[in-house]
Amino acid sequence: MVGTPTFINLAWLVPVFPLLGFLIIGFSDKGLKNNMAGIIGSLAILLSFLFTVILFFVMKSSGQESATISMFNWIAIGSMNIPFAFLIDHLSITMMLIITGVGTLIHVYSIGYMHDDERVNSFFAQMNLFTFSMLLLVMGANYLVLFIGWEGVGLCSYLLIGFWFKNPEYNYAARKAFIMNRIGDLGFILGIILVFFTFKTVTFSEVFAQAAAFPVGTAVITTITILLLVGAVGKSAQIPLFTWLPDAMAGPTPVSALIHAATMVTAGIYMIARSSVLYNLAPITLNIIIVIGLATALMAAIIGLKQNDIKKVLAYSTVSQLGYMFLALGLGAYSTAVFHVTTHAFFKALLFLGAGSVIHAMGGEQDIRKMGGLKGKMPITYWTFLAATLAISGIPPFSGFFSKDLILNKAFEHNIILYILALGGALITCFYMFRLLYLVFFGKQRLANSHPHESPSFMTIPLIVLAVLSVFGGFLNVPSLFGGNSNFSSFLQSATTSLSIEEMSHSTEILLIFISLALLGFVIFLAYRTFVTKTSIPKDDSVPMPSFGKVVYNKFYIDEIYAALFEKPLGFLSDFFFNKVENTVLDPAVDGIGTLTARFGTLVRKLQQGNMSFYLFTMVAGILLFIIFILII
Amino acid sequence: MILLILLLIPFVTSLLLLLVNNAAAVKKIALVSAVINLLLTLYLIFSGSSTGVATQGFVFTGSQFSLGYDGISLVMILLTNLLFPFIILAGFNREQKQPKILYALILFAQSALIGVFLAQNAFLFYIFWELSLIPVYFILLLWGGEHRRTITLKFFIYTLAGSLFLLFGIIFLYQLTPGLHTTDFSVFNQLVIPESTQIWLFWILFIAFAIKMPVFPFHTWQPSTYTMASTQGVMILAGVMTKMGIYGALRFLFPIIPMGVVFWQNTVIILALIGVIYASVIAFRQANLKKLIAFSSMAHISLMVAAMFVLNYYSIQGVLFQVVSHGVTIVALFYLVHLVEERTGTLELASMGGIKLTAPKLAVLMLVVVLGSIALPFTAGFVGEFLMITGLFQQSVWFAVIGGFTMILGAVYMLYAYQRIMLGELRPDLVKKPDLRLLDYFFLLPLILILLGLGVYPQPIFDLVEIAVVGMQNLLIPLADVASAVAN
Repeated sequence: MVGTPTFINLAWLVPVFPLLGFLIIGFSDKGLKNNMAGIIGSLAILLSFLFTVILFFVMKSSGQESATISMFNWIAIGSMNIPFAFLIDHLSITMMLIITGVGTLIHVYSIGYMHDDERVNSFFAQMNLFTFSMLLLVMGANYLVLFIGWEGVGLCSYLLIGFWFKNPEYNYAARKAFIMNRIGDLGFILGIILVFFTFKTVTFSEVFAQAAAFPVGTAVITTITILLLVGAVGKSAQIPLFTWLPDAMAGPTPVSALIHAATMVTAGIYMIARSSVLYNLAPITLNIIIVIGLATALMAAIIGLKQNDIKKVLAYSTVSQLGYMFLALGLGAYSTAVFHVTTHAFFKALLFLGAGSVIHAMGGEQDIRKMGGLKGKMPITYWTFLAATLAISGIPPFSGFFSKDLILNKAFEHNIILYILALGGALITCFYMFRLLYLVFFGKQRLANSHPHESPSFMTIPLIVLAVLSVFGGFLNVPSLFGGNSNFSSFLQSATTSLSIEEMSHSTEILLIFISLALLGFVIFLAYRTFVTKTSIPKDDSVPMPSFGKVVYNKFYIDEIYAALFEKPLGFLSDFFFNKVENTVLDPAVDGIGTLTARFGTLVRKLQQGNMSFYLFTMVAGILLFIIFILII
Repeated sequence: MILLILLLIPFVTSLLLLLVNNAAAVKKIALVSAVINLLLTLYLIFSGSSTGVATQGFVFTGSQFSLGYDGISLVMILLTNLLFPFIILAGFNREQKQPKILYALILFAQSALIGVFLAQNAFLFYIFWELSLIPVYFILLLWGGEHRRTITLKFFIYTLAGSLFLLFGIIFLYQLTPGLHTTDFSVFNQLVIPESTQIWLFWILFIAFAIKMPVFPFHTWQPSTYTMASTQGVMILAGVMTKMGIYGALRFLFPIIPMGVVFWQNTVIILALIGVIYASVIAFRQANLKKLIAFSSMAHISLMVAAMFVLNYYSIQGVLFQVVSHGVTIVALFYLVHLVEERTGTLELASMGGIKLTAPKLAVLMLVVVLGSIALPFTAGFVGEFLMITGLFQQSVWFAVIGGFTMILGAVYMLYAYQRIMLGELRPDLVKKPDLRLLDYFFLLPLILILLGLGVYPQPIFDLVEIAVVGMQNLLIPLADVASAVAN
């Protein structure tokens, strides 16, 4: 296979397609009419996807596990040498397939969804720029190239959240997202710098090779992993840096699907999985990740119960699912986390696109209290949405079942309390998802003068493809219990080193599955009773709520707490510095010196009154003093 | 010879301009002169040698009229000669009073600045240092905005007072030189000065530079001066003259009184880091756009000062890289402010909004420059800040954390300003103006290309200063080791 390695060396072309797409659409601007921008944008991602698929098969057939492609020396000074290089291995190719595959579908969907928007060209330019950055992120061969992509996706997220820029609220949401991510990024960049000073390199392969020599629990490794974790917490919307993600729903729905569900928000999980060698050496950090992940999963799920905006429900659901991925990371089950990233990309993208289809049909309405009865009006949207709901709820044999069950099993092996909490979160997830499904598609149509209709095929075809993936995606990683051999996990074994945990017996595994299935069935029944049989619709905002319900409805007041803790004090400090320190201390002090000089001048002026004899006297006295001075010395 | 030509071209052109009466011709001649100087500078850089001294006859107080350069001078010269064509271009197609005097002054300032960066002895350095103040004083006074008299006076006296200390310091060093006294830097660098003397001499020399940069708390002249100054005036101030302070510190403090530097190192770093936070925090509640950018510039310069004083290889590389990056960014930014002001007729952020709706291309280019200013990767700002924070980290994690806050706070106030100006609903009272004109592209695109180009491929600047930085680092490493040994 002489030709094969050379082909893998062409992998740099994968991000070039979306970059070209961005440049072409960006520079032709108003010159592109009639879906041209959307077609160019989609084709660019499709080409990337096809190229990635070929790469994948070439890698599989040649058995090559990784390849590094160096482009040029980016920063090379002193002993610091940071090449602009790509690393293609099983982890990055998995992520590339998700990004370009799901990305293509969402781009195609957007042709329909954004059809009437006057700035559709900017939209596709920014979506292509996003895909380019996201590919850099997962393809970078060292932490700093990863960081280029990391900040690049943050920028595109900022631009696309605030896409409808006439609305100041959307602009605020965009800024909030960027700044919260930057808080994480400061931790991340400090982590990268510490990696550099510890290993004298930031290239993954070199860092991980050297890290093998460090004993478990080394302080510097723990510090590095915590700093990197801060970055991941920001990007993947975990406690305490999660509040930007629900607000990010201000962007067009395809953006929520691509950036805020399927790809960008999973960058933190990717980065930690990529650094698995370091994290395995830092059990303290892994425990922190477990706590953060589980707390986020539960809290976001609880908030999700009370939300009435279709996209907000999905946003909190995303935060919650990201929490499960963190839980998996914290348990040292990196490939499981990436597996959940994959299935989540399918079903959550599908949920968002389905929601987009509903919003499209309802003429922009996002409040689920005003929907209902859409099942018959929008059959494709309904059936695909149902598939995704079953998948996220973890009903076998839908994709979410396989990935979530794996996480629950790992939790069980680690600690039964973790298992119970994680299972509880899964049940809540199931409840709020079925609540959403029932309120939107079942019962009677509640908005009087609207005529919902099925969306155009640009939008429904991606829904169908994603539905197929959501249903069958789990078969990528069938556990031995069902006669499979965990293909997905073993594929990632060469790129991430998961901590080995004792395999549980098949009988325990079956028992756990039955417990969770029974509970899930009960929850679905409960939701059906509440929202379909009893047709209880969440009340209007004006109706008073029970106190705990109110706290949940208001998202535990976390936004308000942050405003009181950070925004207000910062504003106060700014005014204090400017009005007090600058304008009443520092500046007057300088002016004071000026005034003093002037006063002194007035005083000295008295010496110069034009009195000739006085001048002569002082002159002679001066000369005498000078002579005395010289004589003494 | 080429060094003298670099110095003389703007000077002679400046005199020639006084004979020209056509406003358009004045600007064109000035631009041609500045472009020739830029081309000569590029020739000097690409012709190879990274150091060189050319001594001309002129003897005075044991000091010759001696021009020369090393990597650090070259970066400064490059920045100066790169920015001046743009500073001149900023006045094209715009009504300005007494253009021939204005452009004569601008070129005179350029000449003086080149002199500062090329001078091989402290005496010559001082002459050019003070000469550069004169044209800038008049540019501010005659072409400035509201309250220009009082503000310019304050600026002038403030900087002049600082210079006086510098002069005293130079005279003190002069009388320390052996044999026939001289002010040559090469002799100054060999002086053996007792540590106790270095400790007080440090402030005598540093104060002039601290005011120029400016470093907290010597900055109070800056916000009002920037706000009042004409666009071209503020470009000279923020783009080039702030770098005089950095250059002066590198030229005087580190080689001549290294022990004084080591003694005061942490004090200066802490002052600078206070400046970073202080200016950033103030910036985000400023109602006036120019004042906001003035404080943002102070925050960026403060980070450079902090990084400079940690005295390690990465930080000094980062600072010199950032010299170019900051200069280019701030000039582009002030040009954009000017374009915005032409449309809004005001600098008050509260009365702006929605310009993107009428001028989408202006909005895009402004966004790119704003992103450069908040150091997004693939812009030059990121490379500089990354290296500076790396350098700070090497000294102390907490320095790096505090310095790194610019990443967050910079995003807070710059994005706020950008959104306030460009986004939201269009204000009905906006002056109807077309989107970018050809001239604006000529101004902004090259600067943006430099920002992006250096962000992707920063190596040319690193190579330019490498030898000088290593030299400086070798000078200080033993001292820093001694200091840390003492501290432990």
